[in-house]
Amino acid sequence: MKEVRILFTVLVGLLLVASCSEEQDFDQLDDLTVAPSYEASIFYVKAQETLINRVAGLNFFTQDFNFDAFEEPFFTKKVLAGVLTYELENTTSKPIEIRLEFLDEAENVLDTEVFSMDPAPTAILQRDVAYGATGKSLDIIRATSEIRLTAINLGDNSSESALQDPAIVLRSSAQFTLELQ
Amino acid sequence: MRLCYFLFMVCILLTLGVKAQNKQILYDFNEIPQSLSVNPGVETDFKWFAGVPLLSGISAYGGSNAISVNDIFASDGVDINLKFRERALDVLTPKDELSTTVQMEYLSGGFRSENPNVFYSFGGYLEFDNISYWPKDYAYLVFDGNAGQLGRSYDLGDLKTRGSLMNVLHFGVNKKVDRNLTIGARGKIYSGITDYSSTSNQGTLRNTEGQNNRISTNLNADLLLRTSGLQALDEANDSETLGNEIISRALFGGDLGLGFDLGFTYHLSERTTVTGSLLDVGFIYHSSDPKSYSLNGNTTVEGIEIDVLENFASLDRDFWQDLVDEIEAEVPFETDTKSYVSFRPTKLYASIRNDFGEPVGNGSSQSCDCTAGSSAGGELRTKYRNSFGGQLYMINRPRGPQMALTGFYTRRIGNVLAFKGTYTVDKFSQTNVGLGMNLQAGPVNLYVMADNLLSYNNIAATNYASFQFGLNIISWGRSK
Repeated sequence: MKEVRILFTVLVGLLLVASCSEEQDFDQLDDLTVAPSYEASIFYVKAQETLINRVAGLNFFTQDFNFDAFEEPFFTKKVLAGVLTYELENTTSKPIEIRLEFLDEAENVLDTEVFSMDPAPTAILQRDVAYGATGKSLDIIRATSEIRLTAINLGDNSSESALQDPAIVLRSSAQFTLELQ
Repeated sequence: MRLCYFLFMVCILLTLGVKAQNKQILYDFNEIPQSLSVNPGVETDFKWFAGVPLLSGISAYGGSNAISVNDIFASDGVDINLKFRERALDVLTPKDELSTTVQMEYLSGGFRSENPNVFYSFGGYLEFDNISYWPKDYAYLVFDGNAGQLGRSYDLGDLKTRGSLMNVLHFGVNKKVDRNLTIGARGKIYSGITDYSSTSNQGTLRNTEGQNNRISTNLNADLLLRTSGLQALDEANDSETLGNEIISRALFGGDLGLGFDLGFTYHLSERTTVTGSLLDVGFIYHSSDPKSYSLNGNTTVEGIEIDVLENFASLDRDFWQDLVDEIEAEVPFETDTKSYVSFRPTKLYASIRNDFGEPVGNGSSQSCDCTAGSSAGGELRTKYRNSFGGQLYMINRPRGPQMALTGFYTRRIGNVLAFKGTYTVDKFSQTNVGLGMNLQAGPVNLYVMADNLLSYNNIAATNYASFQFGLNIISWGRSK
């Protein structure tokens, strides 16, 4: 029995010692960067010219929208950078100003984006707003709880565009890079 | 250091990844009692045998068909991000697997009935097995995200994984029908400790140009993860009673199942033999602590959409919460505690063997109690010094059956030593050379097996590694 034990030990030992391995460095795992970028639409707002004409005064639309997406703890902890892309299309007969305000929970204004559009026919306005190292502070995004949208009619309340379904349309999307590791 | 690295590599391989390992060296190596575990119809000649508790059979296997530890972790000065992208992310496919099987036999024995043609065997072992296929599109989503990928469809069906930890108790009967045919069957009781599976997922995630807004995101999901025992183990871990919980669940306090193995050996001629076995035809009913998670539905979103004219009367509502509620209603994430059934990964072995050379054992004039074929009933079969042949192994897997072909040569040196060399081709390797040794020192039986030996010059670079060893006490019942 003793001999068998010795033989067994020797055999297993031989197998282990005879095996080789190139040098491995498992600490490299710390250098692995996992920073994906995700993209999705944020909000779409459409105000028809017939509606604009019905509202007296410059300010034809003001509304605060709850927007908790940026407040999710996972997002606020991991976000590295981001770009908000706005696309504004004006097919009405009036010059329009759109004001977007980012508000925190106490409704303090953190940031404002203003868009001015000439009456139709006019090109679609596209604007990319960067956040992070090469742009505005990410804290704006992290603290945003509401978005206030104000639309101002800088024209009259009677003219009508000859285009089909005239309206002012705001489209937007967000692309954010998260640091997962 | 080499030793440390070897052990570490084995640990890493074991953590990589349901499949049971192909025991091509042990199969039809009928000097070893544990060959009954891969073919209950193997020809036995023992009066009785007893495995040394916890040492009678230990086997472990870890493998990935397409990537090795060395590919990623070699200390070669190359940025790991580059290596990961070039050797994993951009190369691996959902057909590539990471799998692990560990079996530890804690009880093993057998005895011959009063009818010398019948041999009974029994035992118990713990088995952990896991298989995960490379979740390609999930990996891209995690490492790159979906930005700038308009039109690209991410396949949510790429997630396929299955694993379990269980205790298996078995009892088998092996009967020599006549001089040419031996058959065997074994019944198994499975006591599941824990189980998880997510193998029938379907769906896509896709960004396209929006109709109203800039981007339209479509999620079409039919995802299901079923687990059993995980919650119980987690709670036991929190209350520091994990050991007790594992033992309780291993001893019929968890999920229960039944299964059977079948096998045969048939001599086509004096020197030509065919064998076959079907293992783990069975199921487990997971009822003790089941929990399933599902995500099922279809939704397309373009963010918060406000048509001021249409929504004029309700502009004060919480559009964000409405959007979240709408998504959750269309693609609900649900959990339930319904029991479920899982089927064991059934395996099939078949072989053809030709013996040649001088006879050993029976015809010689030894006086020891260690001769193959010395106590089986009926007319004894002659063992020959050499054997060669081929084996086939198949196993059912989540992505369909998998196959391995083995050529082997067995050399017997008296009654004391036997070696079996194998060459196996499967999806893991085309250079898998294995070697097994059986040593019979009086009543003591020791065996050691390892395959993919060519990889041992750099174990970290191998896609596959497995080993088996065991210790038994065997009696042939009488001296010749």
